[in-house]
Amino acid sequence: MTTTQSSAQTRRHPRLTDGVDQDLRYLIPEGICRTFRVMPYAAVEGTVLVAAADADDNITAHVVAERIDRPVLLVRHTVNEIVSAIDAVYPPQETEVETPEARRARMQMAQMLTRSGLITDDQLQRAMLEYSRTGDPLGDILVSHEAISEDVLVAALSEMYQMQRVGLADFAPEMEVARRLPEPLAQAFQAIPVAATEDLVLLAVARPLDAEQAAEVEEALGAPFRQLLANRTELDQLIQRVHARHYAEVSTRLLMETRPEESAHIVVSGGQKAALVFTAIVVVVCLVIWPVETVIGLVALCSLLYLVVSIYKFRLTLRALGTHLETDVTDEEIAAVDERHLPVYTILVPLYKEAAIVPRLVRDINALDYPRTRLDVKLLCEEDDQETVDKIRSMDLPPHFHLVVVPDSQPKTKPKACNYGLQLATGDYCVIFDAEDRPDPDQLKKAVIAFGRVHQNVVCIQAKLNHFNQDQNLLTAWFANEYSMHFELILPAMGASESPIPLGGTSNHFITSKLRELGAWDPFNVTEDADLGIRLHREGYRTAMIDSTTLEEANSQVPNWIRQRSRWNKGYIQTWLVHMRRPFHLLSATGLRGFLSFNLTMGTAFVLLLNPIFWALTTLYVFTQAGFIQQLFPGIVFYVASALLFVGNFIFVYLSVAGSLQRGEFSLTRTALLSPLYWGLMSWAAWKGFIQLFTNPFYWEKTTHGLDDGSAGTS
Amino acid sequence: MSTVTVVHTKDRLSGVVQLVGRRPDDVPRRWWESLLVFLFFTGAYSWFGYWVVVDMHVVGFEALDRLNRALMVWHNEPAKLSAIGFDYPPLATLLIAPLAIFRGFVTSMAAVPVASAIFAGITMVALNTMMRRALIVGPLRYALLLALGANPLVLLYATTGTRHFVWIAFAVTALGSLFAWYVTADVRFIMLAGIAYAVAALAGYSSLTFFVLSAIMVGAILARLGADGTEVEGTVVGFAAPTAYVIALWTVLNLVLLLDPLAWITRSSDAASSGGLEVFSAVDLLRGTGELVLYGAPLAIVVLPALLFSGLARGNPFATWLGVLLAAAILTPALAVALRLTDSPMLMRNAVPILLIAVVGAIWLARSAEEGSTLVAGLVIVGLLISIPWTLEQMKTYRYQNLEAPFAAAITTGESQEGAETLSGDKVGIVSEQAMAEYIRNNVTRDNSILTDNAQTYAVMMLTGHPERFFDRVDKSDGPWKIAARNPAKYVDYMLISTSDNGDLLYKLYADAVAGNDAQLQIVYRTPRYVLVGVPKGYSPTATTTQIQNLQGSP
Repeated sequence: MTTTQSSAQTRRHPRLTDGVDQDLRYLIPEGICRTFRVMPYAAVEGTVLVAAADADDNITAHVVAERIDRPVLLVRHTVNEIVSAIDAVYPPQETEVETPEARRARMQMAQMLTRSGLITDDQLQRAMLEYSRTGDPLGDILVSHEAISEDVLVAALSEMYQMQRVGLADFAPEMEVARRLPEPLAQAFQAIPVAATEDLVLLAVARPLDAEQAAEVEEALGAPFRQLLANRTELDQLIQRVHARHYAEVSTRLLMETRPEESAHIVVSGGQKAALVFTAIVVVVCLVIWPVETVIGLVALCSLLYLVVSIYKFRLTLRALGTHLETDVTDEEIAAVDERHLPVYTILVPLYKEAAIVPRLVRDINALDYPRTRLDVKLLCEEDDQETVDKIRSMDLPPHFHLVVVPDSQPKTKPKACNYGLQLATGDYCVIFDAEDRPDPDQLKKAVIAFGRVHQNVVCIQAKLNHFNQDQNLLTAWFANEYSMHFELILPAMGASESPIPLGGTSNHFITSKLRELGAWDPFNVTEDADLGIRLHREGYRTAMIDSTTLEEANSQVPNWIRQRSRWNKGYIQTWLVHMRRPFHLLSATGLRGFLSFNLTMGTAFVLLLNPIFWALTTLYVFTQAGFIQQLFPGIVFYVASALLFVGNFIFVYLSVAGSLQRGEFSLTRTALLSPLYWGLMSWAAWKGFIQLFTNPFYWEKTTHGLDDGSAGTS
Repeated sequence: MSTVTVVHTKDRLSGVVQLVGRRPDDVPRRWWESLLVFLFFTGAYSWFGYWVVVDMHVVGFEALDRLNRALMVWHNEPAKLSAIGFDYPPLATLLIAPLAIFRGFVTSMAAVPVASAIFAGITMVALNTMMRRALIVGPLRYALLLALGANPLVLLYATTGTRHFVWIAFAVTALGSLFAWYVTADVRFIMLAGIAYAVAALAGYSSLTFFVLSAIMVGAILARLGADGTEVEGTVVGFAAPTAYVIALWTVLNLVLLLDPLAWITRSSDAASSGGLEVFSAVDLLRGTGELVLYGAPLAIVVLPALLFSGLARGNPFATWLGVLLAAAILTPALAVALRLTDSPMLMRNAVPILLIAVVGAIWLARSAEEGSTLVAGLVIVGLLISIPWTLEQMKTYRYQNLEAPFAAAITTGESQEGAETLSGDKVGIVSEQAMAEYIRNNVTRDNSILTDNAQTYAVMMLTGHPERFFDRVDKSDGPWKIAARNPAKYVDYMLISTSDNGDLLYKLYADAVAGNDAQLQIVYRTPRYVLVGVPKGYSPTATTTQIQNLQGSP
């Protein structure tokens, strides 16, 4: 309950000048004190006295009452009295205190919008509170929360700064003029020439440029210019249209041209082809001369591979079981984050034929615990997906959502779209989410805190992935089992041991500049995430894990699941081939541990190919006791194979159980017991991907999303 | 402004009783301490066991049988994993198989004590970790371990290669994990306990009783703590899955290979038996049980009521459960007799798990006593020390036993027990086997040249270190072996036969040869317990058709 003091009462109560009660001074956070100009300073008969410059303001009274759980009395004081009291309690940092001009502008904006009835008191109050936390422009906050439209804000700014506006929605630019301002400057300042005469350029800007920016622009243009305020969304679309060709070129060819040896545009190198052919000839010759011995040798080799991969995974899992290898970020640390210091965060969301999911996606991104004014969300659409593009346009999203239309060209892959979006990214950090992803709301803040805590060579932080529709059917439950094992046990152990981590498809958070340095994603690799994880390791960078989960939609239909999984397996083999072109280079870049870890991780794809062969031999032997099978498994080979059959299989089943228990998904432990059936599907998909590696290596098997609620789309 | 509800991980876990995905509040890991405890006890038991086995000749033949099977796993021609057979729980043999990689380690008999010492060492590590979690100070922990480790029953079974410590080690490890789970609420320990019980189950079927009781306890404690049905079910499934899997797998293998899914229960027997099954009345069983506890594990007499009192009167569910477990351990031998599940009733070795569970119970009581934990631990040590001479004395006279009396005699007199008799009338010693093995090693070189019934002559086979020289039941299974037994001249040069009718099928066929009355089958070498008979080329058996038919019908 808040009351305001009358002038008669004023004389009876203590004043700020009598001093601030030590127990009360931190009752209201600094941001709110400065924004609303209030300061709690005394308690009288259970009532907290709060000095206020505008004691009659309802919003101020409401905000103060929400933060103090006792009766409150607003006592009118002068601005100077309050500001000096705030400065005494919270010594001001020069860069963080609002200048008088900025405060005037903010108040002017608030008054303009409230008096014209464009926003309600409630909306203003929320916006002011967010301002008190972030210090971001009030108008931007209001637009980001869709309290007003961008056009209204531009009109208000135009009024305040006495600048002309320009509408760019249907503007057809003259490319020569528009490209007079180099793309990096256009991106950095959000500005683009829209017309030019011999001695003047008309420059559309999102916000008035400061003097330094203006000088830089004038030098680049080589002519004086006049600024015209434009709608940020329209301006962004125009910049994209003008520079589309450049972005498309870079997103496709950057890695291929700067680091051709790391690009999967050629799947099997000349040297590898020669080695493969040579090996094949040797095997065939041996088969002719020593058929049984050769087959035994091959069986032994496969069994050994299987055994080593199994032991490696088991060792990793044991290490992670129950311990906490992720970078720790506590709730208290998240609550203590000073939002004024939060960086801009880019979220890349590749979309393909997923129009139906867009509303849910927007809702979930807006639910993130991160100031919307510091979000830079790139909705990456393909040019031929008009339905999704139209859907996004029709939603008239606030400017922290950016529609990015990737020109239609080959290869049409998710990594190419991400590369395209990365060129437009303005965030210090960036992350990929799929359209159907539901990250934990505090994930971005956790990542920011974690980046500040980990070693300098960590440029990527991987969050955990799991599924929100795990209970939909047996397949989704198995998928959740698998992810629990992978993200709760295996990846944390790999991260802790500084092994190269095959990144998950989404929720990998990067330092944007480092990602660009690395050449971003390989558009020709169908598991670009795994490939990038290895590449950054080769460059001496590392990946850490955080204990935050992004829930995805698990594929709930077998054919759809097979398509997705076949792509993953194809990509794993592709990635292995790319990085093993020069094994000794890889060894020297990653060290022995990294080299072994990489090969054993990628070896999983080969193990999945072997599974059906061994299962078939075992089944055939049980039912027929065929002598030739017995012949293939002499002595030690038989022991290894038996260990894998009885112990290895059990261990992998149990690791699925353990992953689910570790995650606290108790309802999934039953289904984990049936996971050998799931392995059958995995092997089916592995063979499909393996065959496709030769027949259609760059083909991106599309996955349909939205099967959980019927809003199906493809990515 | 829109607001949406996204299910946050924290929200999802808010109703979960157990600790998930967080660091538990647990004692720090001290791998070096565990390693030192393991090395000390394994080393001490191996060293002492070598003296007991090699110098005192106190050796259980069951250990030699398993080591012989382990030898066949590596050195038979061809190597035979199937040598582990179905007579013992499979891991009782498989887990000691690495000791047989080098033949010399087995033939010197150094592997015999190590085969049990390793597992006794693991048991001590598990107990030490439990005591650390019970916050018992270092000196008391070590004193307690030494007092327990010096118990003559523990010494006997930890040093003579018997298989009992194999399953006990994993069962105690599982108990230790459940102990840790109860203390920390960390779900990881449920998984570790589940795996430990799975290993224990395939190393000794007795552990299944403790496993079942533990599964019930896990569910009951979670339910009592307010966990919802999903958490209870998921946790119990996670706990039970490994044991259920291994038992199911073993049952299927029994079905496929023996056409009897329950053969693992019905065919399992102890190589060294007591005096045979007797008729026990309820009073006999009760008295037998009382004597077993009183002589073998007197600590349990104090610990059991203390656990039940602490559990029921003071609301300490873990104490109740340990009490139930201890009671089950005490009653199991009598139940096995009552249900006719054993041909070795009320053996003194049954007191070993009772003693160990009583110690686990005492550790929990010490933890529950909080400030009084040092006093409780001290009392336990005193109790264990007092029981050493008491139990040693009882081992000399306790009626149902294996090698307890010779062992007690050996350590009190320091004299070899070669030729001594156990209370059940069996001869102690191994000189006869060593002599025959030495002769074979020196005189027979051809592989598969000695036909033998390995179920009776395993000790000789093991001591030769060359299982490949024998044509036994493992080589090509029973069928071909029986064919060879009917016409040995076609397959082998010799036959190794027991000199007594103790189930050796060759003895049944060639009793005259064993007695030296067969003109064609000359004895090449003889010891009191074995004969090596030469099989001349062209030898035609004189055995009657009936004998052959009997042989075919034999198990």
